[in-house]
Amino acid sequence: MIPSVAPAPAPTAADQAASTTSAPAPRRRAAKAAITKASGHKLLASPGAVAGLLWLAVLVLASLTAPLWLPFKTEDQDFTAVLSGPTAAHWLGTDELGRDILSRIFAAAAGTLGTSLITVIVGVGLGTLLAMAAAGAERTEAVISRSTEIMMSLPGTVIILAVIGAVGTNIPLIMAILGILMSAGIYRVILGQAKSLQSQLYVDAAKVDGLGPLGISVRHVLPGLANTIVVQAALIFAVGMLIQAGLAFIGFGPPLPQPSWGGMIQGASQHVYDAPWMMVPTGAVLALTVLSANAIGNALGKAPNAAAAHLPSAAARRHRAAAVAAIAAAPASKDADAQEAPGQGTLSVRNLSVGVDGAGTGNGVALVTGVSFDVAPGTVLGLVGESGCGKTMTALSLLGLLPSGVSVRGGQILWNGRNIAAATDKDMEGVRGRDIALISQEPMRALDPMFTVGYQLTAAIRRLRGMGKAEARTEARNLLEKVGIVDAQRILKTYPHQISGGMAQRVAIALALSGQPRLLVADEPTTALDVTVQAEILSLLRALVKDTGMSVVMVTHDLGVVADICDQVAVMYAGQVVENGKTAAILDSPRHPYTLALLAADPHANDADNMPERLATIQGQVPQPKDWPAGCRFAARCQFAGSACADPVPLLASGTGEGLVRCVKADQLAVEGMDWLATDVPAARLLPVSPATPQHTTVIEKDLA
Amino acid sequence: MALFVAKRLLMALATVLVVAVLAFLLVHAMPGSPGAVSLGAGASQDAIDQLNQQLGWNDPLFSQFFRWLGDAVQGNLGVSLIDGRSVSTDLADRLPVTASLAAGATVLSAILGIALGVTAAVRGGLLDQVIGGFVGLLVALPAFWVGIVLVYLFAVQASVFPATGYVPFEVSPQDWAMSLALPVITLAVGGAAFIARQTRASMLEALQQEHIRTLRATATPTWKILYVHALRYASLPIVAGIALQFIGLFGGSVIAEQLFAMPGLGQAVQTSVSTHDAPAVQGVVVIATVVVVAVNLVLELATKFLDPKLRAS
Repeated sequence: MIPSVAPAPAPTAADQAASTTSAPAPRRRAAKAAITKASGHKLLASPGAVAGLLWLAVLVLASLTAPLWLPFKTEDQDFTAVLSGPTAAHWLGTDELGRDILSRIFAAAAGTLGTSLITVIVGVGLGTLLAMAAAGAERTEAVISRSTEIMMSLPGTVIILAVIGAVGTNIPLIMAILGILMSAGIYRVILGQAKSLQSQLYVDAAKVDGLGPLGISVRHVLPGLANTIVVQAALIFAVGMLIQAGLAFIGFGPPLPQPSWGGMIQGASQHVYDAPWMMVPTGAVLALTVLSANAIGNALGKAPNAAAAHLPSAAARRHRAAAVAAIAAAPASKDADAQEAPGQGTLSVRNLSVGVDGAGTGNGVALVTGVSFDVAPGTVLGLVGESGCGKTMTALSLLGLLPSGVSVRGGQILWNGRNIAAATDKDMEGVRGRDIALISQEPMRALDPMFTVGYQLTAAIRRLRGMGKAEARTEARNLLEKVGIVDAQRILKTYPHQISGGMAQRVAIALALSGQPRLLVADEPTTALDVTVQAEILSLLRALVKDTGMSVVMVTHDLGVVADICDQVAVMYAGQVVENGKTAAILDSPRHPYTLALLAADPHANDADNMPERLATIQGQVPQPKDWPAGCRFAARCQFAGSACADPVPLLASGTGEGLVRCVKADQLAVEGMDWLATDVPAARLLPVSPATPQHTTVIEKDLA
Repeated sequence: MALFVAKRLLMALATVLVVAVLAFLLVHAMPGSPGAVSLGAGASQDAIDQLNQQLGWNDPLFSQFFRWLGDAVQGNLGVSLIDGRSVSTDLADRLPVTASLAAGATVLSAILGIALGVTAAVRGGLLDQVIGGFVGLLVALPAFWVGIVLVYLFAVQASVFPATGYVPFEVSPQDWAMSLALPVITLAVGGAAFIARQTRASMLEALQQEHIRTLRATATPTWKILYVHALRYASLPIVAGIALQFIGLFGGSVIAEQLFAMPGLGQAVQTSVSTHDAPAVQGVVVIATVVVVAVNLVLELATKFLDPKLRAS
């Protein structure tokens, strides 16, 4: 009967970490005021919650004004209409004594709602206080958590009944004690969030400023908990009503003849045979009221996000399959090109576009537009650029592993001459692992924490190479040795959490190699690792390319990595390739201002001798996909931008080897030998950009000399 | 691991002790002395006082509690004030009823809940929304009301199951199952809805983990990703949810037993509380706690065993 003490799944450590990192202190503080506003919006956005609020309001109002409008007194007995169904006189029928059910339901409503509110106030109040106290001090937390664990493992119903034995059917007191019993579950839900709020930097700052624990709790922790508290209150309100009705049902309701919903249903249960209608109105009203409270709580609560799944739901996969079929059916204009280079192990990306799926049939924003590049067997292509330039989306599209809600919108991904952008997921299963493999940024999260390294490796080897169990086991050990793990036998038996990040990345690489792929897509494989480990992993990848002849698409923002390992580079900015060509050519004589700027901003790109006094920076940020201008997307941050930059810029031969560059001023810059300035950009050279004024009207032609 | 088990066992013991004290105090706060309850309304004050003296009611609370505890440890929970029967014997007769009820409801709600939750998370789209709405409705329906509807449908309209009563397993396994059907379903409806929600949320969280992408990148078949890897990852919170449900369902049996006239612990609590039968209340509270704590302990150890991080340490 008290099952739902902790209705919300306890937040996981990952959740808490995410909420800690994703909400930097200043923003969080600024957001505080907006919390209530946001909650209101969330509430109004949910039709169920609006209906629930309305129903509760009507119920309370109707109940409080009941004496004024109710057609019958609760104890009026109409012996001409005993156990009647709905009639003109008794809209919801009558009970065994001929009492009007409608009148009794509404007369009982205020008491039921009011006493349930006691449970909410006691339970949520106590739970919140305990959580805030525990979040502030570790010792206190240990004591409180132990005690609440004990409370949660008690048979609450039985204890409540024993309490009733002692205090009688004093409903408000019983509901308060119920609140105490339920506070343990509420404490558990709130504690995680309170702790993550307590560990914010601005809380540390407030402590340094001399704010006491109480001040911190009230000023910094409580506001952040507001939404959770409201959610819990709504859910507990619903549980309280159910339990109260349940108690009345078994005979521990308010003293007779006072009507109660549980008591009325109990009465109805006596007449299932002769008057089944009787249980309908009261049950429906109770269910509707509980439903209303739940709807409000759920509307405000954090719903699990189905859209973030790495394996989309069946419905989402059907949706995507339809989109893929559309691409496959679309006449590919560059088909002739495709036929020209069907070489084995060759990747040619042609005019690839990736975008967010729009609601309905329309398209959402584009994330990658018109990207083309080639990767020859045995070579390494680097995709470079800042975060948010579409590098990872481009890389994931090569495996057909774009996140849910993002899909290829056009163009071709030709693998061995076949367009895999138009391949079904089933077909892609034949490509993934066997032809094209993936290494992720965070090795620890890329491995399944629930299975041993050995299981994960052998399962992949058996699947991808069709080997038997014993053979696969040997091969797994060979692979681990190949990626430089000395005690392979031991590592096979470990779980991912038992090995270091560098070791995990080696295991992840071994896993990627298990199907002997021809192309390895590496998404920032060294970013999450220590500097020394980075170098080891890079040299391992270099050796693997040399040994196996596979090619690599390396996503990175580190030009050092590019110089170290890449044969070709494609510099990406705001979803486009802005410059590509041979690594040496691009690093030695960059043509695009963005490449210039990246090199100027990279401390490792300069020798110790000619290290500039001051490193260059690139003003501003990569624009959001929805804010991309029609012309050059870099213009707003470019030191060399001019009026010509407002028009769309084609990708043209850059003049260095086979390189291409997307800049109207590339030739001019090359001739004049311009450098990206390290100092603050002089006001005269900075392009004033405001979203309100279109760029081309405010461009100031600058003196480049 | 051994240390962990030992710690948990100690916690469980502490829980039972705390409840024993609590039950003892509550019983002493009940209106009416045991003598008055036992002898009924017409008894003289002298007779009541004499019986109270005899029962040790006037001894210091401390010695009363430890006398009770000493007896309880040896399996003697005293004698009912109403009918003079041994509380231990009575509860031993009743325990199987409630145990079958709670265990049946837990298993049924776990099966239904996991099936619904996994389906909603895995299939998505319209089916997810339909299941979500259905589950939301089930959560809001009071168990006792569901029970009446079930009686109306399956006992009154179609005589598939008996409306009330309990047949012990030893008498007839088939009738036993039939007599349990409606009460078990009644209790399982709400439990299944909660487990379905928990399962859906846990599955979705599991599918958001990055290792799912690794599995796809190594051409792991979809069914294996879903039902081996994601479900395995989601199993920890699901089992924890089931443990919580068991506590609730054990308590919920009070309602089911009342509605279906089953001679279980719940009915014992209800009658002994109504009649102020102190030893019976005290006994049943402690026994219920022991059962719930024990089952919880087992399920918690199972959860920990499912987690490689804890198993290894």
